Amino acid sequence: MSTPAGFDELIHPATRLSVVALLAATEWADFAFIRDSLSLSDSALSKQLHTLEEAGYLEIHKEGGGRKRRTKVRLTGHGRTAFDGHVAALRAIVDGVGPAASAAPPAGAGGTAPAPLSETAGHAKASR
Amino acid sequence: MSTPVDAERAWQDLQRIRVPQERVYDELERSASSGPGATYTTAGIMWLFIASWGLDLSDRGFWLVLAGYVALLLALAVVANRKTRVRLHRSRHTWRSFATFIAGMVVTCTTIALSGRLTDSLHLPFGSLIQATLSAAAFLLFVGPANRWAMTALRSRGIRPAHGEEATR
Repeated sequence: MSTPAGFDELIHPATRLSVVALLAATEWADFAFIRDSLSLSDSALSKQLHTLEEAGYLEIHKEGGGRKRRTKVRLTGHGRTAFDGHVAALRAIVDGVGPAASAAPPAGAGGTAPAPLSETAGHAKASR
Repeated sequence: MSTPVDAERAWQDLQRIRVPQERVYDELERSASSGPGATYTTAGIMWLFIASWGLDLSDRGFWLVLAGYVALLLALAVVANRKTRVRLHRSRHTWRSFATFIAGMVVTCTTIALSGRLTDSLHLPFGSLIQATLSAAAFLLFVGPANRWAMTALRSRGIRPAHGEEATR
């Protein structure tokens, strides 16, 4: 089974997808805010951020020093484009436009509304 | 090698994207509603500035007070910026955000002008104090509801249903 154009293997894993999705809505976000929002440990988030930074998807800025030190994370133009492409690819798969359309249609896409956010939040946590 | 993704997994991924983005809007709403201190401080600084007009300052004095006023507002903005944990991307702002900003200026300036005219025409004592109080009150009354109005639109714009979901509803 192949995937539609724009599908990004780097963004695809659940945690990285959540990180990039959060950053896509922001100009920048504080490291602590991302960590708390996604219920990740410092080390787990740091690892994901460095992977994405090495790929040029985001920039990490450290400001201040001592106890006032803070880390700001910003999605680059390249990262934003990759995320938009990935979302478009996922939609293409769901709509049955992409090559993956040969797969069975999703249970939720057959005329029912998307799962409530609380449910998806639980799913996101469970899938980590 | 590419990862095979079926439609159900893609659907779940699209749902998963919404969750962290909701957290961003939650944080923006939280910081907007939990920060009346900054609003009251801004109103207080405005009150002092307008009240100083009644001191019949020289031109030099007026410009000094104005410079102090602007410096205090800038300092307040810097402090607020340091407290902020997240900033919304510019593409997520709506016309309501800009309308709120412009309307805030119009309401405040109009109140200053009208209350000044009123106190002058009625020859009220302590005119600048009355003018300052009315202007600060108008600012305070406007900011809360206007911010809530702008924030509601931000969330509904930012968390749109994914393309395809809309069609299936």
